[in-house]
Amino acid sequence: MREQLREDLLASLRQKRRGFTKGWYKFSRNPLSVIGLVVLVSIVLAAILAPYITPYPEHAKPYTNFQDSGKPPSLTHFFGTDRVGRDIFSRVIFGYRFSLTIGIVVLSLGVAPGVILGLIAGYHQGTWIDTVIMRITDIFLAVPPLVLALAITAMLTPNLMNQMMAIALVWWPWYSRLVFALASSLRSEYFVREAELTGASKLHIMFREILPNCLAPVMTKMTLDMGIVILLGATLSFIGLGVQPPKPGLGTMVAEGAKRLPGEWWGTIFPALAIVVVILAFNLVGDGLRDVFAVEEV
Amino acid sequence: MSEPLLDVVDLHVGFRIFEGYLSVLNGVQLSVGVGERVGLVGETGCGKTTTVKSILRVLPMPPAKVTDGQILYRGQDVLRMRRRRVQALRRHELSAIFQDPLQSLNPVFTIGTQLRDIVKDSAIGQGRRLPRRVIEARCIEALRETGMPDPERIMTNYPIQLSGGMRQRVCIAQALSTHAKLLLADEPTTNLDVTIQDQILRKLDELVDEHGSSVVMITHSMGVVRDLTQRANTMYAGSIVETGETKQLLEGPKHPYTQGLMASVPKLTGEGISEGIPGRIPNYLDPPPGCRFHPRCVHRMEACSAELPSLFEIGGGHRAACYLYGGEA
Amino acid sequence: MVAFIGKRLFQSLFVLFGLSLLIFFIARVMPGDPARAALGFLATEEQVERLREEMHLNDPFPVQYYYWLRDLMHGDLGRSSYTRRPVTMDLVQYIPATFELILFATLISAIIGQVTGVLAGYFRNSWFDGLSRLVSYLGIATPSFVVAIFLLFVFSQVLKLAPGVGRLPIMMTPPARVTGFMTVDSLLAGRPDIALTALKHMILPAISLAVIHIAQEGRITRTSIVENMQKDYITVHRVHGIRTSRLVFKYLLKPSIIPTVTVMGLDFAFLMSNAFLVEMVYMWPGFSRYAVTAMLNKDLNAIVAVVLVIGLTFAMVNLLVDIITMFLDPTIRLRTGGS
Repeated sequence: MREQLREDLLASLRQKRRGFTKGWYKFSRNPLSVIGLVVLVSIVLAAILAPYITPYPEHAKPYTNFQDSGKPPSLTHFFGTDRVGRDIFSRVIFGYRFSLTIGIVVLSLGVAPGVILGLIAGYHQGTWIDTVIMRITDIFLAVPPLVLALAITAMLTPNLMNQMMAIALVWWPWYSRLVFALASSLRSEYFVREAELTGASKLHIMFREILPNCLAPVMTKMTLDMGIVILLGATLSFIGLGVQPPKPGLGTMVAEGAKRLPGEWWGTIFPALAIVVVILAFNLVGDGLRDVFAVEEV
Repeated sequence: MSEPLLDVVDLHVGFRIFEGYLSVLNGVQLSVGVGERVGLVGETGCGKTTTVKSILRVLPMPPAKVTDGQILYRGQDVLRMRRRRVQALRRHELSAIFQDPLQSLNPVFTIGTQLRDIVKDSAIGQGRRLPRRVIEARCIEALRETGMPDPERIMTNYPIQLSGGMRQRVCIAQALSTHAKLLLADEPTTNLDVTIQDQILRKLDELVDEHGSSVVMITHSMGVVRDLTQRANTMYAGSIVETGETKQLLEGPKHPYTQGLMASVPKLTGEGISEGIPGRIPNYLDPPPGCRFHPRCVHRMEACSAELPSLFEIGGGHRAACYLYGGEA
Repeated sequence: MVAFIGKRLFQSLFVLFGLSLLIFFIARVMPGDPARAALGFLATEEQVERLREEMHLNDPFPVQYYYWLRDLMHGDLGRSSYTRRPVTMDLVQYIPATFELILFATLISAIIGQVTGVLAGYFRNSWFDGLSRLVSYLGIATPSFVVAIFLLFVFSQVLKLAPGVGRLPIMMTPPARVTGFMTVDSLLAGRPDIALTALKHMILPAISLAVIHIAQEGRITRTSIVENMQKDYITVHRVHGIRTSRLVFKYLLKPSIIPTVTVMGLDFAFLMSNAFLVEMVYMWPGFSRYAVTAMLNKDLNAIVAVVLVIGLTFAMVNLLVDIITMFLDPTIRLRTGGS
């Protein structure tokens, strides 16, 4: 008996490893996805290690040195310096910390409620539970997320925390809609009906039978959404409703730099490029995952 | 046999896919005379549709690739023709009906729009544009010929408003509206109800008679071959294994595959269920060498796995690609 | 069909009602005193209290909402604490400039997106397909404010090929306002020269808005074209010798643009939100810039109004898209009954 268990465990581990190898093989067939992954890993590492690897970590804090103000890119300042003489390269790397934090916090706050609500509505498709949940979802989807997030942040005090809460508040409906669609089609599948016939509880069916089959699209969407949330965060800071100066938000830096165009172009272009690169990387990796999981549309 | 209208010579077609190379057509030989009706029989997946699409040059390339062979239409090789010439052929000479009428009509246009454009474009290159009235009349006539009630109303319908049988009649009307000289009918009734099948086939038969077209009738039904064709070919895994007059083929099948196929036809006299042919059609990624039927064949010998047998003459135009009837064996 | 549209209208109304409740709730539960915000720091406590009473701020939430809804029915959205004018009046003034810009951007993205999508799909795996794929990746990943700044920097400031910010040069007198669309009004006033200048001023901001949608619509059209090209009916059309131009632009395009049309409806609302950024960069005196100003100044009445206007536009555009889709796709039309 015990032997048997051990065998089963090993077999399932082997299968998992094989699944992973096959997935990696599919992912690596698209060179763009691999490039995206490499870029992404570098950005994450750089952001984590920012205090140790940036040339001027103190420039991410309130700091002025007017002697170095507005210097073009050089070997001492890769991306040049800004109006008050801070090193833009160091600030961009620190800016990634904010961007990634926004992405991670928003998705961890927003995805779980969205998935659970979608799951409940999908399983109870056609009943009043479905109607209530999905109509509320519709209300949140009735205006673009940027508008609602802006309105909410505007009514609160603009700062990083409130910005993340506002985006999370407008983000869950997308997941409840996605999971609703998946769950309502899964619930008529044979394995779900079989579980129902054997008398499994509702909770078991929703969380152990249906949910695992929704994870691949949800994960793919999360990767793609990281890019979109980062974009939204940068947008909010650009408008002035996000990370407040002197903290180095990427959007804030673009907005500040734009005031000094066309002369000191580096103050805008480099933070802007930094935003594009991180979003692009998330999109490329997300597309790769879409191929791996063979997800049609998320 | 007189000068053939269509002569497919040693056609090899393959598909490059992710897992490797699928060698689907393996030297197809097929000829059709003027006014002749030829049957092509074989099980699903043996390359019948690929043959038809090659003749019409509508195979998607890539992934498909013609590696060898010729398709001669009135002596000219369709595969090496200029695009313009192929278009002209499709407009005036060739026509086709496909298996699934539900997929063969564009869902967002009315029957009338689709039919009118076929007739309109068939006049391209003939110097004059057809007047509207003539187009309209020809479309309605084509629909009426297929036995459709109220063709004027059908013209304004969208495909989803019609049943499968009706849609296949529309497809036939489309195919015959340009008075093609050669009609390629690729299992035109497989996806229809049995009761409708018969009506459609009878109608098709009648119309082909009137127009005097040649026909290649693809089917996996022996009954259809018997009723509608003068000559018949059996196809297995990408090559023609037996050819002859329909009567010869049905009454005295020579190739072991044809024999097996005949034996699989359920008899109404109640002799029980036939044995069928053991095994299944080979994997085109790695087909067996030589005669592709040899792994399933009861008569297999050494030569079978060495080289693909050519079509050996048995007598009276009846030929079979089997070492039982020729070759060194 | 009428029943279908009626049902959709009802749904839209419900969603808008819910949206107003949501946004009103958020506006009222936030800390801070709207009356104080409206009057400024210099007002006396008595004045504030009088306004509080007038704005029904001392009543419970449902009562407040009732009054607010009643005023809304009369077209009264309250007074903006920033511009000190009725919000409705502000909206009427600023909306046309934004709509003009967005319509122009939609036109650009629809044309360029469709054409590249069709070409990329038809010539799948060609160099053009690869290039458009690359460009669309970039287009999707670039925030519109970055595009806006970049275009302004390159084409206006460095190359001097395009005019700078605003709807018209400062020296030029705008035509009398009729529609609020600068190009249309100039033509109505018999001044095609002003119309042309106004059009030139719209090009950069409109392209900044359109880029992301060109990329998205291009991708969707491409996918749809590729999918439809593998359909049997396209083979059948080819077999019958249909002219290539007719095949591509009629028989392939119509079934393929249905998903794109749906996406375009969604995109229209996204254009409105992206206009927030682009109008800031180009100093465009439109609704979106008004919205940003309202948000930066905690102008509650204006914020609520802005969200509702966008929600209303979104709902109307989606209804329009449903109707268009129904005309394009007979399967939907015939299924929903009536023909």
